[in-house]
Amino acid sequence: MTAPGAGGLAAAQEALVRALVAGGPLPPGFDPVAVGAAERALLGKRAGEVGRAWPELARAYGDGWRDAFAGWARGRPPGGARRDGWGFARAHAATLPPAARRELAVHEACWAHAAAPTAGAEPRPRRLALRRLPGGVVVRVPGRVWVVARRTG
Amino acid sequence: MTAGPGTGIGRRPMPVVLRRRMRRVRGMIAELGVGIGWRPEIAGFVAELPGLGFTEVIAESVHPDRPWPGLLELRDRGVAVVPHGVRLSLGGAEPVDPARVAHLAGCAEALGAPLVSEHIAFVRAGGLEAGHLLPVPRTREALDALTANIRRTTAELPVPLAVEPIAALFDWPDAEYDEADFLTELLDRTGVLLLLDVANVYANARNRGADPTALLDRLPLERIAYVHLAGGSEHDGFYHDTHTDPLPAGVLALTAELCARRRPPGLLLERDGRYPPAAELRAELDALAATAGLPAIT
Repeated sequence: MTAPGAGGLAAAQEALVRALVAGGPLPPGFDPVAVGAAERALLGKRAGEVGRAWPELARAYGDGWRDAFAGWARGRPPGGARRDGWGFARAHAATLPPAARRELAVHEACWAHAAAPTAGAEPRPRRLALRRLPGGVVVRVPGRVWVVARRTG
Repeated sequence: MTAGPGTGIGRRPMPVVLRRRMRRVRGMIAELGVGIGWRPEIAGFVAELPGLGFTEVIAESVHPDRPWPGLLELRDRGVAVVPHGVRLSLGGAEPVDPARVAHLAGCAEALGAPLVSEHIAFVRAGGLEAGHLLPVPRTREALDALTANIRRTTAELPVPLAVEPIAALFDWPDAEYDEADFLTELLDRTGVLLLLDVANVYANARNRGADPTALLDRLPLERIAYVHLAGGSEHDGFYHDTHTDPLPAGVLALTAELCARRRPPGLLLERDGRYPPAAELRAELDALAATAGLPAIT
């Protein structure tokens, strides 16, 4: 009998997802080349989704976006495009050009992320917020967001 | 189906043509014709197709309380709109989330859909989202889990469900069924319809060095509600069903093989990004209609 018994399917599926998105070991019996290709395809798909949600961030990396994002995201479970982009942008904030930094500040003024990612959790919209930018501030009031800058970035 | 076409449908009067379409689908599978997946980026293109038979919308992108006006206009024109779920995780070991099932049912009611569709796949496990459709092992245990989840889902749906086998780059070890037996047994157990993605059949066969027509010869083609077609490309040593590349000749050729055996009631082109000029999409839709021997919808 190859069936691992009651509860075996749940554990087997979790082990496979861990191997694909959380840096877990590949469960026995799978073709590592094929699963590796699936992992890279998944990272590429995530990079595309994050790039659409964070256009300035992706633009900052140009043709290197896919590889840059994949390098950061490998082993980090997907948290949705908004959260993944937020995590990547915060990890690279010091080196981002002004437009991408402003995108991050506007995002943080509009959205509150939970401390730990929950599967499929969406960020909560903020009604009021104030965020610093180099050379300005982002002001969030219900339904509106302003970037107030001394000099445009 | 334990639920009739739903109490919710009574709340919102539907065009006669759709009520007729829904009545037909319960007795037999409705004729849908040729269509293309509705996405916000190509909503204008889709709306202007004069002969559009049906369309499909990603269910998770729909707010049942306020669907996109463009979709409601299509519905009111008599174009069938099929909600297509991608995150229900019917193949997961754990029971489907009742809120996700309710959402799918709400989409069907809001859009006056003749049916809804989902995948034979799982997308999360142990609290982790995969972010993609993953294959299930072809074992009795997985078949039992799928059967239970499909029954939980159809019990709440106001319309029939069609399930779609996915494209997967890898297989689970220790399969107890081959693909045709697994699918046939699942359809027999649950009574649901089949959404056959010809591009997935093509991709899986190409990546495994198998003959895609061999699967067609063994599937219950009379259970097909409609088929998907999409483009893909080869990289990393594998053919990827990307939905962002042109339709390969091999997918059209396999569609011709399918139609020669039994023409499906509907054929739908899926395009999910890197949208080409309208003329290119029109040419793909024309090629698709010609392959099926149906009039052009453009």
